[in-house]
Amino acid sequence: MSIARTGAAVTPETGDGGSATEAIVVRRRRGRTSHARRRARTIGLLFAAPGLLIYAGVVLWPLVQSLQYSFYKWDGISASTWVGFQNYLNFFTDPVLRSTLGNVLVLIVFFAILPIALGLLSAALITSGKRPGMAVYRWIFFLPQVLTSVVIALLFKRMYAPEGPINEALRAIGLDAFAKNWLGDFTWALPAVGLIGTWVTFGFCMVLFIAGASSIPPELYEAARMDGAGPVREFFSVTLPGLRGQIAVALTLTITAALRAFDLIWITTRGGPGTSTLTPAVALYKAAFVNPDVGQAAAIGVVMAILCLIIAVVITRVSERE
Amino acid sequence: MSARSEKIWNYVILTVMALIVLWPVGTFIAAAVSPDRAGRPSADLQWGNFATAWTNADFARSMTVSLTITVVVVIVGTVLALLGGYAFGVLGVVGDRVLFPVILLGMMISLEAIIVPLYYQFRSLGLTDSLLGVILIHVGMGVPFGVFWMRAAFRALPRAIFESAEMDGAGPLRMLWSIAVPNLMPAVYTFILLSFMWTWNDYFLSLVFLHGDNQTATVALGVFQGRYVTQINLMAAGGLIVAAPVLILYVIFQRRFISGMLAGAIKE
Repeated sequence: MSIARTGAAVTPETGDGGSATEAIVVRRRRGRTSHARRRARTIGLLFAAPGLLIYAGVVLWPLVQSLQYSFYKWDGISASTWVGFQNYLNFFTDPVLRSTLGNVLVLIVFFAILPIALGLLSAALITSGKRPGMAVYRWIFFLPQVLTSVVIALLFKRMYAPEGPINEALRAIGLDAFAKNWLGDFTWALPAVGLIGTWVTFGFCMVLFIAGASSIPPELYEAARMDGAGPVREFFSVTLPGLRGQIAVALTLTITAALRAFDLIWITTRGGPGTSTLTPAVALYKAAFVNPDVGQAAAIGVVMAILCLIIAVVITRVSERE
Repeated sequence: MSARSEKIWNYVILTVMALIVLWPVGTFIAAAVSPDRAGRPSADLQWGNFATAWTNADFARSMTVSLTITVVVVIVGTVLALLGGYAFGVLGVVGDRVLFPVILLGMMISLEAIIVPLYYQFRSLGLTDSLLGVILIHVGMGVPFGVFWMRAAFRALPRAIFESAEMDGAGPLRMLWSIAVPNLMPAVYTFILLSFMWTWNDYFLSLVFLHGDNQTATVALGVFQGRYVTQINLMAAGGLIVAAPVLILYVIFQRRFISGMLAGAIKE
C-alpha cells in the first residue's frame, strides 16, 4: 500500500508554461525565428502523443463515462434505466452505504492522525543530533511502505488470529480476558484494521518530516536555544511550524488513503463482520463485481474522487494561509 | 534533562518503535520456516516450506504473469515518460498550457473513479482477463507521474548541453537518446524502481481484471491464503515469496526508494 502515487497537493500554475517561456527567451536572444520554435513544439506534441493517447484512453475517457454510468441503474447484463441522481442519494440515505463514511472517519484517526503524530515523534528523535544507527531506524520504519498490501494483510491476519502472537502475548502476561478474535469482533475489527494502516503509514510520514526538517534554517534552533528552550519547546516552536507544508502533504495523502482503503480490508475482513469495516471502496467493489449494481458503483467512485479532490484543495488552502 | 539521558531515551523510544514495526514481520518469517502448521516458531528450520508453497500455489505460473506485466509496464512506461518529459521539459508542446494541467490532474484521479467503466468497456473489447488490458491500464495510469518526474529531471539539466548539440545539427531524437538520457540516468533508475514496485505490488487492478491462469502473484497469494487457512507456515512462506522481489530491491536501493517516493508525494 504505497501511498505516494496519487493525491497530493498540486498547483499546476506554478510549473505550467515555464518551459515554453524560457524557450522563447533563449531562442529570441539567439536570434531564432518563431518558426523554429513552433516546429520544436510540434515535434514535442508528437513525442508526447503516445503517452497522452493511452492516458486519455484509460483514464480520462473512463472518468467521463463514470459520470454517465452513475446516472443509470444497470446490472451489467440487461438494459440500463435512467435514474437521475438516485445513486448519489443512495450513498447518503442507504444505511449501509452511509455507514461507510462513519467507518472512514474512524479510519482517518488510524491512517492519518496517529501516523502523523508518530511520524513527527520519530522524525524528531532521528534528527536530533547526528548519532550512529539512525539510518537503520529509518530503514526499518520505512519498510512497510514497500511491502505489497496482500502480504501486509497476511502479516496482520496472523497477528490478530485467535491463536496469534497478540493473543498469546496477552495470555502470557495474564490478560486472558482481553484475548479475542480481533478481526471477527464487531467493536474491535475496525480499530484493528486501522492499526495496520498506522503501521504502514507512519514511516512514510517520518521520512517526509525528516526531509522537511532538513530545510528549517539552523539559526532558528540556535535562537530557540538562546531563549533557553528545551527539546520539547524547541519542537513545538520551531520544528512544527517549519513542517507545515509537509504536514499538509501527509494529511492529504493519508486521509485519501483512509477514504480509499481497499486491499487491506478486502483481504482481512471483506468489510465484515456485518458492515463494521465496510469502506466506500469495498462497497464499490461489491456493487461493481459481486452483486452488480453498476451505476451505484460508478456513483460511489465519483463521490470518492470528488471527496479526494475537496480534501486536497481544502488542506492545501488552509496550510497556505497566513 | 541532561544530554546523556536525552540520548538514551532517544534510543529507547526508537528501539521500541522498531521492535513494534518488526514484530509482525519477524513472527511471519519465523512462521514461514516453521514445521508447525499453526506457524509457531521452532528451532527446527523447515526451508522446504518455500518449495512446498511454490508448488502448491502454482507460483511458477503467477510469478511469470506478474513478471511479464511488470517488465513490459516498466519498459513501455519509461520510454513514454522519457518522451513526454523531454517534450514538456525541453521542446515545449503545442497546447501545453492545457495539456500539462490535464496530465497533472491524472495524479489525483484514483483508480476507483474509473475502474467501473474501464472494466465494462474492456470487457466489450475482449481486454478483460488479458495481460494486454492490464498492461495498458498500468501504463496509462503511470503516464502522469512519469511525465511529471522526467520533465523535472530534464529541466534540471543545464540548457547549454542542448544548445551546443543543436548547433552541431543533432535532431530531437538524437539529442534525447545520446545527450539527455545518459545525463539523467539517476532519475531514470529511480523511476524504474518505483514503477516496478507499484506494478508488482498492485492488487486491486489484477483482482478485477485477471482470473484463473492469468492471476498475478499478489492475487494468487490472496487465493492461496484462503485455501490454506489451516497451514499458516505455508501461507507465510508464500507471502515471503511474493514480497521478495521488491524487498530485495529495497535492501539494495533504499535511498532511491525513499527519495523517489518523497518527490512523488510532494509534486510541486
